[in-house]
Amino acid sequence: MSEFCGRTRREFLWQTGGGFTGVALASMLAEDGFMDSQAHAADGVSRFSNPLAPKKPHFPAKAKSVIFLYMYGGPSQIDTFDYKPGMKGMDGKTVQVSTFGRGGHKNEGRIVEPKWNFKQYGQCGAWVSDLFPNLATCVDDVAFIKSMTADSPIHGSAMIQMNTGKILSGSPCIGSWVNYGLGTVNQNLPGFVVMLDPRGGPISGAKNWSSGYMPASYQATVTVPGDTPILNLKRPAGESDPVQREILDTLKEYNSEHEAMRGDNSNLAARIASYELAYRMQSAAPEAIDVHKEPAHIQEMYGLNDKKTEVFGRQCLMARRMVERGVRFIQIYSGGNHTETTWDAHNDIMENHTLHAGETDKPIAGLLKDLKQRGMLDSTLIVWGGEFGRQPTAEYAVGTGRDHNCFGFTMWMAGGGIKGGVSVGKTDELGSKAIEDPFKVKHLHATILHQMGIDPNRLSYFYGGLNQKLVGVEHTDPIKQII
Amino acid sequence: MHQATHRMRARLLTIAIAIPTTVIVVAAHAGPPVVGRPSYPGPSPDKVRFFNTEVLPILKESCFNCHGSGAQLSGGLSMTTHDSLFKGGVSGSALRADKPEDSLLVKAVNYQGREMPPSGKLPPAKIAVLTKWVAMGAPMPLGSVAAPGAAKPSGIPVTPETKNFWSFKLPKRSPLPTVKNKAWSANPIDRFILAGLEKNALLPAPRASKIALLRRATYDLTGLPPTPKEVADFLADTSPKAYEKVVDRLLASPHYGERWARHWLDLVRYAESNSFERDNPKPFAWRYRDYVIGALNNDKPYNQFITEQLAGDELPKRTDEALIATGYYRLGAWDDEPSDHEQARYDELDDIVATTGQVFLGLTVNCSRCHDHKIDPIPQKDYYRLLSFFQGTKRYGGTGGSVEQNSLRAIGPEEEKQRFAREDSEYHRKLSGVLTRLKAIEGAIIPDLSSVEKEEWGNPQARLAALKKRVPAKVAEETYREAIALDNERRDLEKSPPKGLELALCVTEGGKTVPATHVMLRGNPHVPGDEVQPGFLSVLSPPEPVIPELPSDVASSGRRSALAAWIASANNPLTARVFVNRIWQHHFGRGIVRTTSNFGFQGSAPTHPELLDWLSTEVVKSGWKIKTLHRLIMLSNTYCMSSKGNAVGLKKDPENNLFWRFDMRRLDAEEIRDSMLAVNGTLNLQMGGPPVYPKIPAEVLAGESRPGANWEDSTPEQMARRSVYIHIKRSLTVPILASFDVADTDFTCPVRFATTQPTQALGLINSTFANEEAALFAEYARKQAPESSAKQISLILARVTQRTPTAAEIARGQKFIKTVMTRDHVSEQDALKYYCVVALNLNEFIYLD
Repeated sequence: MSEFCGRTRREFLWQTGGGFTGVALASMLAEDGFMDSQAHAADGVSRFSNPLAPKKPHFPAKAKSVIFLYMYGGPSQIDTFDYKPGMKGMDGKTVQVSTFGRGGHKNEGRIVEPKWNFKQYGQCGAWVSDLFPNLATCVDDVAFIKSMTADSPIHGSAMIQMNTGKILSGSPCIGSWVNYGLGTVNQNLPGFVVMLDPRGGPISGAKNWSSGYMPASYQATVTVPGDTPILNLKRPAGESDPVQREILDTLKEYNSEHEAMRGDNSNLAARIASYELAYRMQSAAPEAIDVHKEPAHIQEMYGLNDKKTEVFGRQCLMARRMVERGVRFIQIYSGGNHTETTWDAHNDIMENHTLHAGETDKPIAGLLKDLKQRGMLDSTLIVWGGEFGRQPTAEYAVGTGRDHNCFGFTMWMAGGGIKGGVSVGKTDELGSKAIEDPFKVKHLHATILHQMGIDPNRLSYFYGGLNQKLVGVEHTDPIKQII
Repeated sequence: MHQATHRMRARLLTIAIAIPTTVIVVAAHAGPPVVGRPSYPGPSPDKVRFFNTEVLPILKESCFNCHGSGAQLSGGLSMTTHDSLFKGGVSGSALRADKPEDSLLVKAVNYQGREMPPSGKLPPAKIAVLTKWVAMGAPMPLGSVAAPGAAKPSGIPVTPETKNFWSFKLPKRSPLPTVKNKAWSANPIDRFILAGLEKNALLPAPRASKIALLRRATYDLTGLPPTPKEVADFLADTSPKAYEKVVDRLLASPHYGERWARHWLDLVRYAESNSFERDNPKPFAWRYRDYVIGALNNDKPYNQFITEQLAGDELPKRTDEALIATGYYRLGAWDDEPSDHEQARYDELDDIVATTGQVFLGLTVNCSRCHDHKIDPIPQKDYYRLLSFFQGTKRYGGTGGSVEQNSLRAIGPEEEKQRFAREDSEYHRKLSGVLTRLKAIEGAIIPDLSSVEKEEWGNPQARLAALKKRVPAKVAEETYREAIALDNERRDLEKSPPKGLELALCVTEGGKTVPATHVMLRGNPHVPGDEVQPGFLSVLSPPEPVIPELPSDVASSGRRSALAAWIASANNPLTARVFVNRIWQHHFGRGIVRTTSNFGFQGSAPTHPELLDWLSTEVVKSGWKIKTLHRLIMLSNTYCMSSKGNAVGLKKDPENNLFWRFDMRRLDAEEIRDSMLAVNGTLNLQMGGPPVYPKIPAEVLAGESRPGANWEDSTPEQMARRSVYIHIKRSLTVPILASFDVADTDFTCPVRFATTQPTQALGLINSTFANEEAALFAEYARKQAPESSAKQISLILARVTQRTPTAAEIARGQKFIKTVMTRDHVSEQDALKYYCVVALNLNEFIYLD
C-alpha cells in the first residue's frame, strides 16, 4: 500500500467483515498468498483455507523459527552483560542520575555496584558476568544490543509492549504477527507456542500471547509444565483411542450426510477436516514435546539432570524439538507470578539474579550448542531479554534491590542470520540510559521479522480504519549492525 | 493501538513539529552540473503530478530505505533528486538519457543483472510505472523529494464534492420499486430485494422449511434453540399466521434482550475488568449489561438509547437507568499505572472518540488524532472538536480521585437515599462521639509511652493494653473499664454501619466549566496547538452545537447532551443508516453496507442503497422502535428464503450480494455454549445481576501471574447460566468462548470472526466442559426415554437438530453404542455419553440453514 492509512482494495474487502465475504473474495485473497485467509467466511459460501497454511515470505528468510527466551521481570544489565568497570568500588555512593521506575521519578540515588565479576570470553572478547559461566562460552554466536529502550517502566504496559509493540492492551503479539505472515509448515502442531514458568504466568496473562484484533487462529498455544501441558489435547480419562476413533468416524458419517446436501458451503467440509487434524495433533504434539526420546547426553546438555535447571532445560529442549518439527514461534518464560519469583529484583539483586540466572544459564547454553551442532542455529533465531532492565541505584534505603529501568537495557540475539560476537549500542558509565545507538522495541521486532523474511514495514493487517503494523506507522529499520 | 502507534510517532516527532509539512519542498536547488546529459530545467506540472502520484510512492516504499537521503547510501546512490539519479553511485548513472530502456534503474527493477529491490521483485504494474517515468526523462520536482515533511500528503479536504458522498447526505426515501412477481412481496423489503433479483434474472430461493425457519428465527432473536414444545406447537399450527405468531412470541421473550444485548456489548467493548497488570474488576459494570438487556426487551427507542448512554446523567429527569447507561464511558481498558498520565488521559479520550465515532456514526474519526484523516474528509481539528464534548468528564480513576469517587454514584429511590443520609449522619455522630471520649482517655498516657508502645499506637488493642499496664498507678481501674466499654461500642458500631446504597458505574464531570481543548500537534498531548470549541464533523454540514444550561445542582457542562442531541437526530445523515444496517447485519449475516462501522470513503458501498435509505427513514418514522424493525425484516419473504443453493444463483452471484437466498451461519460462541446447556436441560435461565464464574481449567489459569485472582467460585447452578452473564475479564476468557471467536474487548468489535480451527474440535471432544455436558445430556435422555436406547438416540438427535431423525440416523447411533460396548467394553452409560459427544459436535447442531 502506498500510505499508512491507505489500504488495498483487498484488505478493505476483507475488513468488510471478517467474515461475510464470498467466493470471489476468497479467490482474490488467495492470489496474493499473503493476505490469504485472515479468517473464514461465515457466509456459507467461501471456500475453506487454513489461516495457518504456509505462506511465502517477502524475501528469502534467514530464520525459519524464533525462540524468544523471555526473562520476565527485567534482568539487570550491569549485572549481566553490560560491563561497567567504573562502578567497581562505588557501592553506597550517592550519585546524580535520573531514573524512573515503579518508585517514580528520582534524580539521585545510592549506587549498588555490579554484584558479579565480569570476564572476557570467546574470540570476540565479550564481557560476561559470572552469572552466566555456560552461556559465556557461546558469545561468539551472540549479538548483544546494549542500548535497548522501552516506553514504559511499569510491568503491565512494558510487557504488552515487548510482546505487541504497543503499550496499550488489545493488539496482536509478535508470535501472532509471524504466524499471520508466514503460517506454519506443520499443520499437526501449533504455529506459536508459549511455555510458562511453573511459578505462574506473567503479569497481564493471556494479553501477552493474544492475537488481539486478529482471529483467534493466530494466538499462542500455551504449554504448562505438568501432566497436561496443552489444554484439551488429551482424551478424557477412561476414553480409549478406539472409542475416540469411533466417535470421530460416526461424527463424520453424520456430518458428511449433512454436508452432501449443502455442498456449496465449504465451511462444513472444513469443519469435518478439522476433526482429523485435531486427532493428529493429539499424537503429534505429545511426541514433539517428549524429551525422554532424547539421549542422556543431550538431556544433560540442557541441565535436565539438575533440579535447578531441569524445568527451563526441558522447555528449551522441547523448543528445539518443536523447531525441528516446524513450529514458527516459541516463547519461553523464565519467571512467573510476581517480584522475586521473576527477574524483578526489587529486594535483593544477588539472591534474585543468582536464582534466575542459575536456572537458565546452562539450558540456554545447551540450546545454543545443540542447535549449532545440528546445523539448526543458522535458521533458528534466539532472542533473550525482558521487558526492561534495572537501575544502577538502590530502590530502598537499605539493600541491593534495583527498580525498573526502561531508559537503557541489554537484550541479545543469536542464530537465524544474526552476526555472532558483536555488540551494538552503549549505555552511560552507570548503565542508566542508552547513549549510543538507542533502539526501541519496534527495532527489535523489525529485526525479528526481517530475519524471518518479512518486511516489517509491509506486514500489515487492516483494522479500525488503519493498516496496523507490529512496528507502528513509521518506517522502522531492523538493527542493521547485527544482521 | 492506533493511538499507541501514533503516540510513539508523536514522541519521535516532537522536535520536528515546527517544520512545515509541504508535500514537496520546491527549493531552488542548483546541484553541480553533470557532464554528458542535457541540462535539467525542471519538469512541467503534469509531469510533477505523475511523479508525485505514481512514482514517488514506489520510491518511498521500495527505494529510499537504502537510496534515500541518509548518510549511508547503498552503492553510493541517492534517488532523491534528478541530479543524484543521473550522477548515480559506484555502478554509474542510474539513468541513460539516450536509451532510457537501458537505464540501470530499469534493468535493476526487472532483475536484469541487478535485483532491486532485493526484498522482492516489484509487481509488473509498478515496474511499468518506473519504466514509463524513466522514458519520460525521469521528471522530478527540483530539490530533494525526501526532504523532511515530504513524506506525508495532506488529508482529504472538506469540499462541496466530498460533502456530496452518499452517506454524508440525508437518507432519501425512494418510492417502492415495481416488480413483476407481485405475489412474492410480503412487504416493502421484498420489493427492493426482488427488484434487484429480477434485474439480474435471478429467482428468490423458495421458502425455507418450517424447522429451518423456526431454528433460524429462534436463534436469531434469542440465541437459544427452540424447545421441543415450541417445535411441536409450530408444526401443529397450520394457520397462515403460524410463523408470524412465532416472531411475535420471540420478540416478547426476555431472552431476546439477552441475545441482542450481546451484539451491542461487542460494539461498546463491554468488559468487566480493566486489563493491564492487575486487571481489576470494574465495580457494577454488570448493571450496564442489564441496562442494555432491559432497554431492548422494553423496546426503548434507539434515539433515547443513544441519549442515555452519552448523556443520561445530564438529562432533566436523571433516572437511575439513565445514570447506569453512562457506564458506556467506563467500559474500556484502563491502565491504572500509566507511565505518562497526560498521555493516558488522551488515550482514554481517544478510546471514547474512536468508539463513539465508529459505533454511532460509522466513521473512523480516530484516524484524525495525529493528522487530517487520510481517507475521509475529517480534519484533525474536527477530531479535537469532537473530543472537547468529553473534555469535562473525569477519568475513570487514578488522577483526581479514586474509581469510587470518579465513577460510582448512588442509585435507588429518593426515600432510600434520604434514609441513608439520615442513618449515615447519625452513625457518624455516634461513632465520633465514642472515638472522642476514647481518645481523651488514651491520650492522657501518651507522654508516658515507651518507644515500642508508640510504634504500636495505631492499633486499638495495643492502646488498650498500654492503658491496662498502667492500672492502677497511672490509670484508674474505672477509667480503664470505661475505655474497654467505649472500645466495644466502637467495634459494634463499625461492624454495623447503616445499610449502604446501591451503586452504579457511570460517568461524572467536575463541574460546569471545562478545561480548554487544543488540537494536539501530531497527536502529542504535550504539544498543544490551537484551541478549539465543541463542534460536530464539518463534512456533515452540521448545526452549531447548542449546549444546554443545566440546573445549578448538576455538576456537568451539558456538552455531552449537545452531542447526544445531534447524534440521536433524524437530521444526522449517518445515525439511522448505521443503526438499521447493524440490525440487518445480525439478521442476514452481513450488512447492506458490509463495513458496518465504516460508512466513509473506503467503506463498502451499500448493495441495496434504496433499501437502506428506506429502512432508515422507516425506523425514524416508527419512533426509532427496534422491535418494529425486527418484525418488518423477519416477516419479509427475503428473510424466510431457504439457504439452499441453486446452479444459477451460485454462478451469477456466488457472494449472494443480491440476497437470492438466505446465508447459512455458524452459531456464535455464546450460542454454542448456551445450546449445549439448553439441550441437556441444565441451562439456568435466571436473568440479570452480578456476573457468574464458570470453571476455568488449570492449564488456562496457569497463564495468569496470580492464577485465579478475581475469578470467583460460582455454584454449579450459577455456572449453568447464559453466557451473557459470564464475567468478562479482559485477560482471561472462558476457553470455549475464546475458541469460537468471542469478541476481543479492548476495541469496538462490529463483526465477529467465524473461524474453523482444530482447537475448536479438541475443545468439543476432549474438554472437561464438553464431556460433563455430554454426560448430563445422556442422563437427561435416559430419564426422558427410559424405554429403549433407540428412543434415547432419537431424542438426543431431535434435541440438537430440532427435527425427527431418520431411521438410518438412529441405526447409526445404535451401531455406535453397540460397537463401543462390545468391542471396547464401554459401559452402557458411558456409551450413551460418548454418543452425546457425537451429537454435540454435529455440524447440523452448530450451523443454521
